Amino acid sequence: MTEIRIIVCAKQIPDPEAPLSDVSVDAEKMEVIVDAPQVISPFDENALEVAVRLKEEAGGKISVLSLGKKVSDTVLRKTLAAGADELILLEDDNFENLDSHSTAAALAGAIRKIGDYDLVLTGRQAGDWDSGQVGLILGEMLALPCISLARDISIEDGNVLVKKNIPEGYERVKAQMPALITVSNEVGELRYISRTKMLKMMRGARSIPSWSAEDLGVTPEALQQMGITALSSPPDMGRDCELLEGSPDEQAEKLAEVFKTLR
Amino acid sequence: MTPHRVMFWQIGNVWIFYVLAGLATGLFLAGVVAYVSVWKKSSRSLEIPFSKEALKRMILDTFLGRRVLQGDVAAGLMHLLIFWGFLSLFIGTSLLAIHHYIFTFLEGTAHLIFSFGLEVGGLMLLAGVIWALIRRYLQRVPRLERRLEDAVVPLWLLLAALSGFILEGLRLAVERSPWGGWSFVGWCLSGFFSPAGAEGLYPYLWWGHALLCLGFIAVIPYTKLFHILGAPAGIYLQGASKPIVLGMEEGAGEFDLGDAIFFDGCMRCGRCVEACPSVGAGEPFAPRDFVQALRQALWQEHFPLGDIRFMSPKEESKVDENFWYCTTCRACLEICPVYGAAFEVVTKKRVLAVEEGTMVPKLLNQTLEKLFKYNNPWESSKRKRGAWADGLELIDLTKRGAEADLCYFVGCTTSFDDTAQMIARSFSKVLQTAGVNFGILGKKEPCCGDIARRVGELGLFEEQRKGSEELFDKYGITEVATSSPHCFHTFKNEYPEAPFRARHYTQVLRELMAEGKLRFKKGVEATVTYHDPCYLGRHNRIFDEPREIIRAIPGINLIEMTHYQADSLCCGGGGGRMWQDLQGEVKMSEVRIREAEATGAEILITACPLCLIMLEDARKAAGLKEPFRVMDLNELVLQAL
Repeated sequence: MTEIRIIVCAKQIPDPEAPLSDVSVDAEKMEVIVDAPQVISPFDENALEVAVRLKEEAGGKISVLSLGKKVSDTVLRKTLAAGADELILLEDDNFENLDSHSTAAALAGAIRKIGDYDLVLTGRQAGDWDSGQVGLILGEMLALPCISLARDISIEDGNVLVKKNIPEGYERVKAQMPALITVSNEVGELRYISRTKMLKMMRGARSIPSWSAEDLGVTPEALQQMGITALSSPPDMGRDCELLEGSPDEQAEKLAEVFKTLR
Repeated sequence: MTPHRVMFWQIGNVWIFYVLAGLATGLFLAGVVAYVSVWKKSSRSLEIPFSKEALKRMILDTFLGRRVLQGDVAAGLMHLLIFWGFLSLFIGTSLLAIHHYIFTFLEGTAHLIFSFGLEVGGLMLLAGVIWALIRRYLQRVPRLERRLEDAVVPLWLLLAALSGFILEGLRLAVERSPWGGWSFVGWCLSGFFSPAGAEGLYPYLWWGHALLCLGFIAVIPYTKLFHILGAPAGIYLQGASKPIVLGMEEGAGEFDLGDAIFFDGCMRCGRCVEACPSVGAGEPFAPRDFVQALRQALWQEHFPLGDIRFMSPKEESKVDENFWYCTTCRACLEICPVYGAAFEVVTKKRVLAVEEGTMVPKLLNQTLEKLFKYNNPWESSKRKRGAWADGLELIDLTKRGAEADLCYFVGCTTSFDDTAQMIARSFSKVLQTAGVNFGILGKKEPCCGDIARRVGELGLFEEQRKGSEELFDKYGITEVATSSPHCFHTFKNEYPEAPFRARHYTQVLRELMAEGKLRFKKGVEATVTYHDPCYLGRHNRIFDEPREIIRAIPGINLIEMTHYQADSLCCGGGGGRMWQDLQGEVKMSEVRIREAEATGAEILITACPLCLIMLEDARKAAGLKEPFRVMDLNELVLQAL
């Protein structure tokens, strides 16, 4: 089996598992404030896990790209601890709040700069805005065969075989490499990265390259910021709990009464 | 003529015997060398620390069979019979050799006593071996396995002992010496033989007996008989070297000499299988099978020929992947005759699995991530940590100028879980009533590290330990009371440089009672039973304090369940199991709640947030209704004040 070169796009986001009480909305500034640690978007972690497994099987090299105005290498070094060979941060002041098309354009620039690759993997969608667009636009820009919602990925004779989620189950799809695949959570969680491993990776004197918009050949004019037109706090979800007493039959009757009043 | 024994009576070509004896010794030694080479390769160090205590314990346990007797008198007596029978015959034979080759002393009265002693020894061995066979094959004691070697070994001993007696009978039938009656078994048997027939038969049987006995010595290292050496060595090492904290340094998950010898000293007696709550709930984990699988893996890895113990099945290696089921409840160590701590070996395997990363179960993977991000396993906001105390007006020790005599360390589960918060509220009220000046750490309270430590995430544990120590140091905290036996255990035993004293709340309450600060003015008319949390009872031997508090409440009638104190059953929440989705045929907590219900008690009392949650859930699942309740000890105490 020939070695494969994989590029994984990983987005840094505030922990989507943060408790709701740690999320607030500033309607004036049009800002969602999440008081939670930064993490790698979960679907991107799924993509990384597949990449590592494919590399373990066939050998090869994994490059991870992460784009933003400021990207924390303490968060993203996790990808190196997990088995990626290279981490490249795409950092530029102009990369703040990019819309999906602009993000894809910047990523496409980075991927062209890397040049040599067999697979580009992204998460099916980001854990913060859930748009699910960047991967597909990126595939279009790079003129790659593109398969979305992968639940299983394997390589055979220069082709990639993908089980792709559809509402009724899954389809088997085959594409010639290089190809772009957006990965769904069914492939499995990213392996656990122990704190010992993480700390070793942090202490490592390894320098992490950082490319700007200019390095990628993207002009600021071509980048479009995402705008929010309206933002409001979620409605107060105060709970009003009433316990229905009595035998199961009586309880059912009372419950039916409640439902009737709600109609 | 003085009474004496004729050596090599009727036996020609004695040199063959010496060759065979040399061969047997050679095989025996070769086996022992194989063991030592495996130990050497599998352990980080072969250093054997000297400990007088451990030596004393090894000698007493070995010769009195204390650990085999404990909890199973029948098995203990059987073992003592075999042990002393075998030992006296072994000593007897050695004495005879000294008498024959070095200096003559077995003459006259000494010979008579010697003969008599050997008869008793032989009878003990016979009785013990027959009893063992009955237990395993007729009585079919459930914890015993029936592998090939389990039959071969006792039958071998049986044949050796029987042939010895018959041989003696044959000799006495010919000799008819006036002192023959001292060898009373042989003497009785001699009546069955004609002198001429006996004399002809004797050499054949003698060679058979010699082969059996020499062969027996030769097979010791190749069968479970190796426990003759392995068990005492294991007992010594388990007592002599006990690392308190698994270090973070390289090789934290590797086995040490004590582990390797424990695996080889394991007789598969199955006491741990009987005691293990995971087995009781029909889960695919059993300490014995786990240990045997590890043993085999170790031999496979470190000895060129693999497991040299013949007659042991080779397909065991899969078993050791189920170590996530272990709740680290310590029940296996409690009854293991060689003090084998299978649950600690489990932790070592978990350390390796966590380092490797791909074998960590999904839910646990997520829990560990949360534990790191939010310093608690419950995914709740750090901000809500002190929310349970709203309205109680407690001192927050992290506020400027705040001081108190006691820091109440609430713990993650008690802080966040709705059911367990009851513990914090009632304990605080009890302390307030008793006039104790105490405070809490509020939002800044960290995780003690118990979960990380138990599931093998030592790096995270170290970080949490350092963080907690710094925090306690910063706020000058020297006295800590915990809700959870888990936090208590971790602080007490796994914080080697703790700048504070940690106690469990039951100890604090007991002390307040002794000082007269806790007076039960009201009674509680109820029959109750008490569930010992593993990390309070078995791990830290706090059995009496909670019971003394319960008994001091007027009107209370405390009754015990079938399993209590060191023999208590685990609720299933420890060892990281609370945050995993593993199940057997039944839940451990359900087994326990049924046992509690069977006592007829109205209230099941416990003293641990995990036990409280597990048992309360089990009560609901089992459909046990009022007046049967599950309650934390604080709640009961508060009612009685």
